[in-house]
Amino acid sequence: MSIPTAKLKKPTLKVTPSSRAMNISTSGILRLNRSATYARSINASVSRKSFCLAADSKILEKSSVQTPKHTIQVLDENGKDVTPRPVYQPDPAAVQSKHSKIFASDTSGGTMSDFYSTTYQTTTNASFAGAFTRSLFGSGSVSIGSQSIMESMSEEIEDPSSKRDNSISLSDVQVKREEVKELIQEEMLDDMVDLYLVESDTLCLLDMPAISVSVDSMEAESVKERNSRYTELCKNRTGNDKYMGRSMQTFNGASKTKEVQSEAITMADAATIANNWDMYDSFCSAGQGEVDLSTDTDKASIAEMIHQNHGPTRTMERTMSVISSSTIVSSSSSRMEMEPFVVPSESKPDPELILQSEEFQQHLFVMERIILENIYQPKLAAYRQLPTLEDPDSMPKAVPMVVSRREESSLDEEGPPTPALERLWSFSCELTTGRNVSSMAWNKRNPDLLAVGYGQFAFKDQKPGLVCCWSLKNPSWPERIFTCQSGVTALDFSASSASMLAVGMHDGTIATYNVQSREKTPVIDSSDCVHKHTSPVWQVRWINHERALSGEDKGEALISVSADGRISKWFLRKGLDCIDLMKLKRTRNDRFKRQVGEKERKSEALISRQAPGLCFDFHPTDSNIYLAGTEEGHIHKCSCSYNEQFLETYQAHKGPLYRITWSPFCSDVFLSCSSDWTIQLWRQDLFTPVLGFMSTQRAVYDVMWSPKWATVFGAVNEGRMEIWDLGASILDPTIVNPASPGVKLTSLLFATETDCVLVGDSDGQVSVYQLKNFTAGEGTQVGTLEDIIGSTLASQL
Amino acid sequence: MAEVEETLKRIQTHKGVIGTIVVNAEGIPIRTTLDNSTTVQYAGLLHQLTMKARSTVRDIDPQNDLTFLRIRSKKHEIMVAPDKEYMLIVIQNPSE
Repeated sequence: MSIPTAKLKKPTLKVTPSSRAMNISTSGILRLNRSATYARSINASVSRKSFCLAADSKILEKSSVQTPKHTIQVLDENGKDVTPRPVYQPDPAAVQSKHSKIFASDTSGGTMSDFYSTTYQTTTNASFAGAFTRSLFGSGSVSIGSQSIMESMSEEIEDPSSKRDNSISLSDVQVKREEVKELIQEEMLDDMVDLYLVESDTLCLLDMPAISVSVDSMEAESVKERNSRYTELCKNRTGNDKYMGRSMQTFNGASKTKEVQSEAITMADAATIANNWDMYDSFCSAGQGEVDLSTDTDKASIAEMIHQNHGPTRTMERTMSVISSSTIVSSSSSRMEMEPFVVPSESKPDPELILQSEEFQQHLFVMERIILENIYQPKLAAYRQLPTLEDPDSMPKAVPMVVSRREESSLDEEGPPTPALERLWSFSCELTTGRNVSSMAWNKRNPDLLAVGYGQFAFKDQKPGLVCCWSLKNPSWPERIFTCQSGVTALDFSASSASMLAVGMHDGTIATYNVQSREKTPVIDSSDCVHKHTSPVWQVRWINHERALSGEDKGEALISVSADGRISKWFLRKGLDCIDLMKLKRTRNDRFKRQVGEKERKSEALISRQAPGLCFDFHPTDSNIYLAGTEEGHIHKCSCSYNEQFLETYQAHKGPLYRITWSPFCSDVFLSCSSDWTIQLWRQDLFTPVLGFMSTQRAVYDVMWSPKWATVFGAVNEGRMEIWDLGASILDPTIVNPASPGVKLTSLLFATETDCVLVGDSDGQVSVYQLKNFTAGEGTQVGTLEDIIGSTLASQL
Repeated sequence: MAEVEETLKRIQTHKGVIGTIVVNAEGIPIRTTLDNSTTVQYAGLLHQLTMKARSTVRDIDPQNDLTFLRIRSKKHEIMVAPDKEYMLIVIQNPSE
């Protein structure tokens, strides 16, 4: 019967899981017509307590008659269907011979399992579960051992099983299964399949029956009865003949203690922290390790490499590992005598190595700069025109100073604040004390780098010269120190290759140094040159020729003027060589000096026909024209393309000219200063100076236009330093700063980007001053200067 | 070598510098101008701080590394130049 039902019906089974009431029995009955097996089995599986068919035993029997093959119902005294499930589902093809009691239940189990298989596609497990459930539950409910139930069941089963034809049922099972599988074909895939979710059996794996029973329960009475029977039995036992006591003896085996000893399990705590950088380090070192290894190493070895590289690469653990290794070594040295010989020799060179290493020097360098920055921070901030910050933790000793300043400033409140110079710091160290500062030059590319040349002016007490390159970041020690064999009298940095420094010396040598390298020797020296200067070189300059002259290369050339009366241009051709741009001939005061000849011989006997050149300056825009000043006091305007004669001569000074400078703003105005205590302002086209400045009766050693204001220039004479502002006054300097007693000021340099002035003196100090409260007036500076000149000329005429 | 000695001497003579310490990777002082207990204390404490600082810098970006460490306190400024093999420590009183 089940076969046709199987055919007709797809594996859809309606299950009412919550059906525990007796209602289901009716529904089950209704379904009996169709698929009795299924309904019953469902009910049996789902509803535990209501084996509802008990009431309908008749029907059951009927159905059992109707379906002799499939319904094996085992009913206990209460009418419950306690059909046992088979413990396992045998292979239908194989098992035909087994006709044991248990397998009688297999058929039912077979159907059950079949039922299960159609619904759940499970085989033995379900039947297993079913069997267990059934049996256990039965035992639980009845409180009799399961075995007894099984026995009773099996007894009951035997009867129905005898009616059965096991093989057929088994084969039916087999067939059914196949048929079921055939049914699922393509046309059926599109059909709507109803899936019903069924509550599966509760698998009871362990059931420990309670040893006590509630008083209210149904079994209470039977339990009580049994208990009372038992107690009676125990009472009767004592004097009863039926019971005889017998003693037994069990042998206790002799016990033996056994000792086992094992080494103590040493535990070591290992901890690690995986940092971001740690993983990055291992990744990097693993990458390196893979490169080293051959290609066919497996991952295990790579992992080993990683672990091996862990130690040396991780700096954090390095110290610990070193410490631990040293302790190991020291401990082992106590035991073995070989070790101590190895240990001390390894640690000795380490401190020395550290101190000599590059990195240590670099760190020292940086550290020194930082320390100095701490010390000089307010001064440097003032230099760079940054606001100086008060240190909040500094001592309150600064307060009285502030008070005094306030008092001073209150006095000046009426008028505008007077321009003044504030001394910031000075570049000096013990190397330079006692030396005369002869020249200073800023680096063209790095405005913080200053080159200072030290050398005596006078012929007597000549000593080896010194060139120091100072950095603003370290005012207490120069960055580079070059010693030269004779006093340095001139310096200039090249503009095209910013690390080239040209140095002119008192013995006429010209050398170039590369300040980037740490070598103490010049790159090139002119001492081998045939045409070298024979007298002190008073000025060197790198000049950029835009226009090529007579096939010579464009670019920078080094020009020098020396006391042997030559202005030479130097270039590299198998060594340093020079050509003369001009020979400074001696001239007379009268205008007809060109006719050299009898007049000269009559007047004076000359030592040489050359006039010592002391200074020169190229025109700021036209690099062909330059001015040269001589010891006679003449200024010659010359041209590079014409080296026989001067273009012009300006005569006004009565003493050697120490400096000539073109104005950086007005292209035909220049200044000259000399030892005749005067500074003269010239215009190119006039042969007499436009303005002359004299403030003291001292020789003026240096004069320089301010790079920022057109009407401002600075001058330094032996005793003091002056800042002139022509817009303010043409008679007196605006700011005067006297030198310390005993010290002569020898050179002056304006800082290019800030309002600072550097003054070098004969004691080897280069002091940095800041111009305070200095404004050169409104309006275009150039216009002002020209106005002044114009007005002066007008007044002269 | 002489230059290094000179520089060390110069650093020590700068204004406000209280002490200079050079310790190796194990914390043993190589060069110091302070007494031993102070040196060891500074070295130990600053070593830990430097490690922490380096760890912080590298955690943020593993390709970065610590080059210099400055601690400004009310009284002093401690400047540490760390390295794999040594540590250079200078203590300065900047407002002196």
